[in-house]
Amino acid sequence: MVNIQSLKEEARKCLQEGKVKYIIGYEKGADGWKANPAFIKKPEDVEKLIWDPTCFHNLARFLVDEKRRKAKEKQPDTRPVGVVVKGCDSRAVVILLQEKFIERNDVYILGLSCEKAGVVDERKLARKLDGKKPVKIELGEKDNFLVFTDDGKAEIPVREILAERCLECKANFPVISDVLFGEKTKREVLNPFQSIEKMESLAQEDKWNFWKQTLAKCIRCYACRSVCPMCYCDECVSDTINFAVTADTTAEEKAQKIKWLEKSPVLSENIFYNLVRAIHLAGRCIDCGECERACPVNIPLRLLNKKMEKEALKLFGYEAGFDPSQPSLISCFKDEDPQDFIR
Amino acid sequence: MEDTFEPRIVAFLCKWCSSAGSDLAGVSRMEYPSNVTPIQVMCSGSVSPLYIFSALNRGADGVLVSGCHPGDCHYIKGNYYARRRLALAKKLLEHIGLEPERFQMSWVSAAEGQKYTQIIKELVRELKPLGPQTKLRRKV
Amino acid sequence: MDKILAKKDLSQWLKKLDSYDIYAPQKDEDQWTFSIVENSDAISLDYPNVVVPSKKVIFPQREFLLEFSQSNEKGYQIKEILPEEKSVIILGLRPCEGKAFSLMDRVFGGELKDPYYLKRREATTLISLSCSTPPSPHCFCLSVEGSPHSKEGLDVLLTDIGEKFYVESITEKGNRLIDQAKQVFHEPTSEERKKVEKIKSDAEKKIKREIKGLNNIPAKLKGMFDSPFWDEESMSCIRCGICTFLCPTCHCFDINDEVETSSPMLGKRVRTWDTCQFPDFTMHSSGHNPRPEKASRLRQRINHKFQYFVEVHQKYQCTGCGRCISLCPVGIDIIKVLEKVRDYGA
Repeated sequence: MVNIQSLKEEARKCLQEGKVKYIIGYEKGADGWKANPAFIKKPEDVEKLIWDPTCFHNLARFLVDEKRRKAKEKQPDTRPVGVVVKGCDSRAVVILLQEKFIERNDVYILGLSCEKAGVVDERKLARKLDGKKPVKIELGEKDNFLVFTDDGKAEIPVREILAERCLECKANFPVISDVLFGEKTKREVLNPFQSIEKMESLAQEDKWNFWKQTLAKCIRCYACRSVCPMCYCDECVSDTINFAVTADTTAEEKAQKIKWLEKSPVLSENIFYNLVRAIHLAGRCIDCGECERACPVNIPLRLLNKKMEKEALKLFGYEAGFDPSQPSLISCFKDEDPQDFIR
Repeated sequence: MEDTFEPRIVAFLCKWCSSAGSDLAGVSRMEYPSNVTPIQVMCSGSVSPLYIFSALNRGADGVLVSGCHPGDCHYIKGNYYARRRLALAKKLLEHIGLEPERFQMSWVSAAEGQKYTQIIKELVRELKPLGPQTKLRRKV
Repeated sequence: MDKILAKKDLSQWLKKLDSYDIYAPQKDEDQWTFSIVENSDAISLDYPNVVVPSKKVIFPQREFLLEFSQSNEKGYQIKEILPEEKSVIILGLRPCEGKAFSLMDRVFGGELKDPYYLKRREATTLISLSCSTPPSPHCFCLSVEGSPHSKEGLDVLLTDIGEKFYVESITEKGNRLIDQAKQVFHEPTSEERKKVEKIKSDAEKKIKREIKGLNNIPAKLKGMFDSPFWDEESMSCIRCGICTFLCPTCHCFDINDEVETSSPMLGKRVRTWDTCQFPDFTMHSSGHNPRPEKASRLRQRINHKFQYFVEVHQKYQCTGCGRCISLCPVGIDIIKVLEKVRDYGA
């Protein structure tokens, strides 16, 4: 079991010694049920830290903000930032290291093992509880979650309410860490690509009808992009204006920013945006599932990114987020790369 | 009705090989369908998946990317990168239900004018029965 | 006027209104959304709440403003595209959304009248369903001068009293709808009226969340513009657009020209929703951005709702629906932020 006290102690020590600037962890949210990201600056505040199956967020996302903040400061504080990561989140940190977006000594990684469990899927839980409101959730014994509601307690098998991406988990405990809490367990995953196999077996027109219907709902709020640690570009191709302007940027340069897609949330533009995001995340997405969780209109975004993950593995033997020294998927190649689709 | 449909194909041809190959087809007076709008790029490796998506978004019925044979790239390695990147793009487009014939890749060298005409003829033949591309086309 | 409508007669009333486009909450997988009703028998008003509020009907996420073209024969032409002449009913929206429309009416129907918004607004009749229980655990309408049975901005208010609806007509538009199906309605008895009173006052008691001392906050915010408070509060904000896109009162928009063909030139000027949370929100073409960081954008959202709008319109630009709280991916809670503002420096 992850000993939350040890986590708090380690955090307290780091802050007291001034080893880190602040620690990004999880705290109880205002509604008392879900975790929220927390930024602990003072040693006494480490008491706020929690760890439970509602810790969905990929805290590596805030390393991007930290880098931006440092870039603006004249004399930046070069101490690392402490970050609490789950297995999936640690793979995101590996990608950021691999792409040299951050340095290893910019981050002090406090790893937490999910210990064969993971985080819950709120919608699955709501269906299971049938209208009752959950108040607290814990990992219980014998592969069950203990869910407390206003009028009692329910023991629900982990498999039934675990988030989809946890059922396909490739890293049950952090693959990189400075300190690791909990055991290095391995969740038994029979088929890591189960969720897209159903999609792949559909006929072409059925696939199209599915995506047509679901992407028509997209309101282009860009929550998927905003919550992803790997979408760190200052200027995204799907935005219609050029952000990297200075006083010296000429009018021609500004006018030459290519407008790939319109801002309007019409189906064709929504498809383009989602395709662009998926292809730019090929070989970089580590399936933290946050994009799908953040989407307010419940678009199954994992089905796009997972396809790219599967093809990266199947076609090129490439897995993202385990080795910070490997090159990125599309900046390397093998002589044996398949070319049967090329005339 | 279908006989009158002429697919509009956008072809990204690498300057050193495929574009030269298409020129060879032209000066040799080889006949091939006129459905192609060729866009010369410096290297097939410089073709971003965004170009493919954008061509389809703007109404292309088919997209072809053609480059030098592996090992013959003018920039040594560009076509290897293209092979990887565009394989992923092709899989993604098929995943959302786009007909696989609509995006194709080929290796055409500067001497293969004949091969280029064959590729275009096949492409047109495959795209005609599919009709106009309406799935990804921008509808404002 | 007030009437009684049996729930089973609802579809009969709607059948009489078939000259209108009726938007009602319908379930799409596991989400409710306002969409046009094909079959009035399939409507059930027994729903929690929608994610995308009904503002999308009167203030659509994308609308055309004008069309421009240029050709050799006709030269330059610009044609205004006003909304179609179509009568619309939005059925089953919550009173907070009606209040949101009355707030937007001040913006779009004030000194400078927005013909696009107003045309749609006039053509739309709002039949609201009052809340007997709060649709969201984060509802706080009472704190922002709203209520679960508020009539502001609405034309008809329905209250669920079991097998029947208590129907209150508030405006002429509402009266017209009821008159079109007079036979389906009955007169309320005094017991039914009492029952409605009880349901309404009980509904108010069920609202769990509140902000105390909200009236001090506008002045407090004025003094906190440069405070490091905003840096602290916005640390977990990821700068998506969810809070503002899904807020029933938020109405910022962006205007873009979408060109279909360049030769001959043909295109449309399109208005789309915009949000203060996007990085390009107040980006100037010189490259200067007066609100570059998240802190300034969180401050903008809170100030706009609880200081600027109050100064201009003497109303809070918030209806207490709680969507921003329940849908924020990182759990930023506007009530907590306001409470911290209220207590800041104390």
